[in-house]
Amino acid sequence: MTWSGEIDRVHIGATKQEGGTRSRVCTVGGAKNLPFLEGASEMPLIALEICDDTGSWSPIVLAYTGDVTRDAGEWAKKAEKEFGADLVRLHLTSTRKRGFSDVRGVRTTIEAVLQGTGLPLIIEGSNEPSVDSEVFSACGEAAAGERALLGTAEADRYRSVAAAAVAFGHGVIAQSPIDINLAKQLNILLHEIGMPHDRIVIDPFTGALGYGFEYSYSVMERIRTAALKGDTDLAMPMISAAADSLNIKEVREAPQEVRDETAVMWEFCAAFSAAVAGAEIVCVRHPRTLEKLKKGFAHLAGEG
Amino acid sequence: MALKALDIYKILPKKNCKECGFPTCLAFAMKIASGKADPATCPYLDEETRQKLGAATRPPIRLVRIGVGPRKVVVGEETVLFRHDKTFYHPPGLMVEIPDTWSPGQVKVVAAQIENEMFTRVGQDLFLSGVAIRNVSGAADTFQKTVAAIEEMVSLPEILISDHPEVLEAGLIECGTYRPLLCAATDANYTSFCRLATKFGCPLTVRAGSVEGLANLTTKCVQEGVEDLVMDPAATTPREFLALSTQIRKAAIERTVPAVGYPVYCDTTTYPDPDAACALGVLKYGSLIVTRPLEYSRKLAFLTLRQNIYTDPQKPIQMAPGLYPVNSPGRESPLLITVNFSLTYFTVLGYLEGAKIPCHLLVVDTEGLSVLTAVAAGKLNETLVRESLKKFGAEEAVSHRTLVLPGYAAPISGRVEEMTGWKVMVGPRDAADLPEFLEKEMG
Amino acid sequence: MALIDQAVQTGNTVLKENLARLAGSFSYEETAYQLPIAYALTGTAVRDGASAQDAFARSQNNVLIAVESLVAAREGQKKPELPYTGFIPDAYLRKLGYSLVDGSILGLALLVGKAPRGDMVAGLCRELQEKYMLTFLTGENISALEQERVKVGVDYRLVPLGPDALSAVHFVDIIARVALMFGGVTPGDAGRLVAYAQERAKAFVIAFPDLTDEEIAFIDAMRVLGIPILSVGGGYEGGEWIPVSVAEAVPKGMELKRIKVQVTTVAVPMHCSPAFEGKSIRKEEMYVEFGGGRSPAFEILQMRPTDTVEDGKVTVIGPEIEEVKEGSAVPLGVIVEVAGTRMKKEFEPVLERRIHNFVNYGEGTWHVAQRNLIWVRFSKESVAQGLRIVHLGKLIAAKFRMDFPELLDAVQVTLITEEGKVREAMKAAEQVYEERDARIAGMKDEDVDIFYSCTLCQTFAPNHVCIITPQRLALCGAISWLDGRTAYEISPAGANQPVKKGPLIDARRGEFEGVNRFVRKASHGEVERCSLYSLVDAPMTCCGCFECIAVVLPEVNGIMVVNRDYRGDTPCGMSFSTLAGTIGGGAQTPGFAGISKLFIASERFFQAEDGHKRLVWLPSQVKEEIGERLRKELQKEGLGDLYDKIGDEKIATTLEQLATYLEKVRHPVLNMTPLL
Repeated sequence: MTWSGEIDRVHIGATKQEGGTRSRVCTVGGAKNLPFLEGASEMPLIALEICDDTGSWSPIVLAYTGDVTRDAGEWAKKAEKEFGADLVRLHLTSTRKRGFSDVRGVRTTIEAVLQGTGLPLIIEGSNEPSVDSEVFSACGEAAAGERALLGTAEADRYRSVAAAAVAFGHGVIAQSPIDINLAKQLNILLHEIGMPHDRIVIDPFTGALGYGFEYSYSVMERIRTAALKGDTDLAMPMISAAADSLNIKEVREAPQEVRDETAVMWEFCAAFSAAVAGAEIVCVRHPRTLEKLKKGFAHLAGEG
Repeated sequence: MALKALDIYKILPKKNCKECGFPTCLAFAMKIASGKADPATCPYLDEETRQKLGAATRPPIRLVRIGVGPRKVVVGEETVLFRHDKTFYHPPGLMVEIPDTWSPGQVKVVAAQIENEMFTRVGQDLFLSGVAIRNVSGAADTFQKTVAAIEEMVSLPEILISDHPEVLEAGLIECGTYRPLLCAATDANYTSFCRLATKFGCPLTVRAGSVEGLANLTTKCVQEGVEDLVMDPAATTPREFLALSTQIRKAAIERTVPAVGYPVYCDTTTYPDPDAACALGVLKYGSLIVTRPLEYSRKLAFLTLRQNIYTDPQKPIQMAPGLYPVNSPGRESPLLITVNFSLTYFTVLGYLEGAKIPCHLLVVDTEGLSVLTAVAAGKLNETLVRESLKKFGAEEAVSHRTLVLPGYAAPISGRVEEMTGWKVMVGPRDAADLPEFLEKEMG
Repeated sequence: MALIDQAVQTGNTVLKENLARLAGSFSYEETAYQLPIAYALTGTAVRDGASAQDAFARSQNNVLIAVESLVAAREGQKKPELPYTGFIPDAYLRKLGYSLVDGSILGLALLVGKAPRGDMVAGLCRELQEKYMLTFLTGENISALEQERVKVGVDYRLVPLGPDALSAVHFVDIIARVALMFGGVTPGDAGRLVAYAQERAKAFVIAFPDLTDEEIAFIDAMRVLGIPILSVGGGYEGGEWIPVSVAEAVPKGMELKRIKVQVTTVAVPMHCSPAFEGKSIRKEEMYVEFGGGRSPAFEILQMRPTDTVEDGKVTVIGPEIEEVKEGSAVPLGVIVEVAGTRMKKEFEPVLERRIHNFVNYGEGTWHVAQRNLIWVRFSKESVAQGLRIVHLGKLIAAKFRMDFPELLDAVQVTLITEEGKVREAMKAAEQVYEERDARIAGMKDEDVDIFYSCTLCQTFAPNHVCIITPQRLALCGAISWLDGRTAYEISPAGANQPVKKGPLIDARRGEFEGVNRFVRKASHGEVERCSLYSLVDAPMTCCGCFECIAVVLPEVNGIMVVNRDYRGDTPCGMSFSTLAGTIGGGAQTPGFAGISKLFIASERFFQAEDGHKRLVWLPSQVKEEIGERLRKELQKEGLGDLYDKIGDEKIATTLEQLATYLEKVRHPVLNMTPLL
């Protein structure tokens, strides 16, 4: 298939020469065709998701991962050294608690994670407008120079995260609720307030397998085909995280002896399919899913 | 390029005789255009026009049936490259491989599982589709015995896999009348395979490693009188499969290579990573997917993926309307109203279950519309709420008279209060805020 | 009185001479951008007199570079004393950059010269603080503020740069660094720097009297970066400086740089949220009501010149709540006056309809109907909590500013509760309503150059594109041309985009080059052509939301229309739902089209196929619903007797019955050329 458009390249992470401390830079984008076909971009990248307050994290993942989940820095280290992640996505879940005020703690966590791993970082800040400004400026500053990817900008809540990205030189995740037009609109809004196109990653929102995943799959295909047909407002790389995968009934209520495997399969199917639909970065929480995806992508990319 | 209804109408006889079963020629033309009627049912069409219409309106990918009875696998008749362009119509058959070297006991266990194990999701029953019996032993009689053992136990669609026509024929003695799929003819042996397919009236798989090779082979088989064909692109890696299956689908629906207008076969057992291959087959145009036996997690995940991908994007899955208990509620527990758009329902349910708040969820029939659209279209209105309360026994299920409407239904809250006599509270717009809302407002 | 042009000339000469004498080395610490203005404009690092003179020459004698070098040398010899900040380090700029994007700082203002009175500076500074501006000060204005007990410092958003106006060069070096740090401007790319500053630097200068010639030359040089200079208190003549009064200064500066204060709260003593929209106030819960036939009441929204609208001002003329009896009906006039550079007169009715939603958002306020038919109630509970009539105005003003920040700069509301005055104002309003109706009714497609698109439905019909014209509503019936236009103005990146008609291809079919081009692109290349007035030749695509479907009936040479609510059989042999299932999803299906009910009565109704003369069948319900309009239109077209010749489901549900009927009534289609 031949197309006229090309996906923008976005760099995540900065090495010492570039003013950061990361051991490598991840580059996503550049595709000129649908995923895994001739002229497609490199292998999709896999981010392992970690958090700083495990209260709402899946017990399946916590049990498998072990004690390191009490320390985000150690967790990040293990993500790199043991699980082989391409990126670490840190969810600052501590900011989701009611009455949150510990902004200093957020900085400390980010610093610990930067210490723990040399991988490029994705940082997910707060989701409460009243603390957004404080949290995001803290995130931006704590990771200054590291060219992280900050999340998440939404149509009615994008200023703080974009401000932190602009001020401290990071990229931003632009999330829209499974709608191609809203995705485009948000990209335009972000561009208007000074976010360059090559620092935006689209998150079209991914429903869990069996729970609206088909909508996400199709909207990713639509965004990607529109971009390849030449719509530059949609020509950014995409990130997908079926975050609810481990909380849905099929996984929660799976028989004890197969619960772990069901969790992995559920994450795997959504992440793998998202990559086939066009996502350049897929995010998972179970370390075994990561391993499985690596293998799957390698075969699909013709590297094994 | 497909013909539009009006173009078709113009070349119809315009007699309005109704003999085709449609009230007008225009209605008939509409059906032909959408591939839902056969031009041949018009008795007054001359041969030339019939040919012309047939070529232009025949489904670009042939419909192929494998097996008989309620569990038969029907694949093909797809019309688009992306499901958002219309929909994918016929979910692929997930066929479990049974080698003829297995012990009879092993065969029985696996076959019975495939026939009996079922999951119900969103009102649909999900099964694995059938078996793919592979001649690993090399012996015709062993193969025949395995087929016989399976036939004795279950009535599932079958694929018979062997490179040797005589082996297949041995199997066909046991199941030949049940339309098994034969697998697979190559350029070297297609005549003998075609003979078998014709003799038993079975569909046939052809194998070649390129679009041209497949087109060649299907053309030859059609000349031999076999039209129910399935194509195995014989890819050696998932990457190659994706490239070939995409080329094939495109060439077929755009009618640039009409000879590849047949369903595609995908044997995941040949790939080093069968899980990735299986997911890829479901996503990217596989119609018959052969897999090793799948244990619980894999089976459920792949069946769900298949269900997702083959859901019509324009007809969202609807929940059955009704009163659903969540987290074992009591008579004092709150009553929440939502719509029967499955995505809305599951999202709401997910947050309620996650928060472990006991409540009653009244799902009203908005014909699958979301809250916002249902309110805008007037489908979610006070009458529907009142009738649903009565019909599903909400008055008996709870001791109080307070209901919570979704945030986007705020405009109708006053009217609902007036018509039902219930006290109405307006909940949040986003289901994620429900737990906090319930905690704060309902104690 | 200084003449600007003259002063600039003299000042430039002096500055140039001073620069020529500059020697020794100097630099700033705590920055990665050298002397930022010189670095940004020329790409060279100025470190001493020689390199300063070199950069000056390379910039074609830009005095900003001269002043920057002179000030740097001066500050190098002696650091500015407190409270002066002098050069501001890069670290602070990160925070500033954040605040500017975040919206917590909306723009930058600079105050130079000597204000005639201390309270004048204090007043301006407070105004700037309230409007989320970051203000920079120099010279005597700083001590004036201290005398007025206004606290000065970065934390108070009042930054004291230095002892004289030349210290304001730090105001400019901040803008230069913002461009380098956040704007992707490369050092030495003067063109991009200027373009960036002009477009994005939300900055202006307020100049008081008493600047020296050098200072005037320096301040005037900022204009190249798109920074306007407003002079307050006189003292200057000529040049491009804009003389304004003290009161005008801040609003004018903000208007020139399009800086807008965002309204985020509604200051009324009740909850205010869309969740209350559907809540009604029953008679027994009501404290007072207005209109609804019980007292005269109306509402109107009109646009006014900017200088006549004071944002947020609410005036009540007549008795307040305290003076009215509980349970009574009080007259009410709601007059909303709005101003905005992008506001247009045509948006008035669309915005006016929002008053209904806004008032209903209030927990204790309730509103129905529109114009001079309104009916408003206040609840007892809210009045007990302090709700007054004035709050109705506060609510409306604030919500308009919150919901239409791009469109409206100022909203003021007048509420009249005195019967005589209400009646008087209502008469004037009624005249406006009439004019509006006449204008909309008379609007034709040829009167405009731009149509509007709607791609809202692409969520489920990926290639569907609705083209909305004055005479053809969106097929869902919900969006008129004016609505489309307003939606675009309010949300320029939204689903309604302007479509230039472009050269006419065929007037009868309503085919335009511009429309075709737009449709081709917006349908992702799926649809090549779109005729706005044809059913047979390249009709518009259908999403699924259409109010009605028009179908050709070649057998009787006519066109039938069926609406969504009609569930029975139709002469074409297909019911509405069968038709809808076949033609929806974004496809173009010649012979079939989704249309709005009102389009049936439009002058443009499939004129390519001879329009209304072809109309042979319509379900009775929709026929009655649009009856008046349709009769009028038919009358106008000289088809006065056609209305009764149009069949409905009581007359025919099959083609045969319809044919018989058309024969009987001698419908014009009988004598027309074949449709296909």
